[in-house]
Amino acid sequence: MLSGFDGISQSLDAYLVLACLLFAIGAFGFLARRNAISMLMSIELMLNAVNLAIIAFGAFTLKLTVDASVIALIVMAAAAAEATVGLAIVIAIFRNKKTPLVDEYDAMRQ
Amino acid sequence: MTLPETIPLLGFGWDDLLFLTFAAIMVGSALLVVVMKDIIRCGLAMIVCFAALAGLYVFAGATVVAAAQVLVYIGAISVLVLFAIMLTQTKAGPSSLVFQTQAFPAAIAAAVLALLMAVVVASTDWGATGRRIATNANELAQTLFRDYTLAFEVVSVLLLAAVIGGVFLAKREKGSAD
Repeated sequence: MLSGFDGISQSLDAYLVLACLLFAIGAFGFLARRNAISMLMSIELMLNAVNLAIIAFGAFTLKLTVDASVIALIVMAAAAAEATVGLAIVIAIFRNKKTPLVDEYDAMRQ
Repeated sequence: MTLPETIPLLGFGWDDLLFLTFAAIMVGSALLVVVMKDIIRCGLAMIVCFAALAGLYVFAGATVVAAAQVLVYIGAISVLVLFAIMLTQTKAGPSSLVFQTQAFPAAIAAAVLALLMAVVVASTDWGATGRRIATNANELAQTLFRDYTLAFEVVSVLLLAAVIGGVFLAKREKGSAD
């Protein structure tokens, strides 16, 4: 019963499928949510999915083990920079338009 | 007393059970992040998702990255996001309508994307070793500060620029009313 899961934590595919799922969830959130901060949170989810894939490849490839951790740390720093600037932009727009909903940001369409 | 090799009724190992638990928590809370109405709860679900991811990183042998995940994502980015949520939440805003009109096509597109990537992952031979390799923190430090020095320095300049840019963008204009 359920013995198909035996050794699932030792297979690269399981980690990669998890990363795919997380990326797809983030993509859905980015496309579907109306709130600008929700969209930024979805971007964070997608960045984390990529990081999980990098770490998984590192954990199962002998030559890449250390490099994968370094790359993941650098991606994390870049994600922190992105979050800082993104949230600052959202707050600056909010101060002008008084709404966090992206479908009401139409100044460049007129 | 010692635990049995595999879990009695389920037929797989204890580490597999832990992996599946972390995976379920991660996917479940990520789904909550994108579908819940109350955005502050979305932020809290995001913290749970990041914590489960840190657990998965430990599982993959990358303990340093797991520690950085807890410090950077749970400690810094989540708090930043929660602050931004509290700054931009207005009672007057229509909070009942959380999704765009294209939410349904977006859901189909995301499902197709996940299915496509899962098929590609399953059908590719990655040449992976049969078991996980743990990262040595000492080796990681040597690599980061020797082979990747340029990337490290560039990323620190990037962070500095982002901090200055963030303060500049979010600061109040001189003479504005609010």
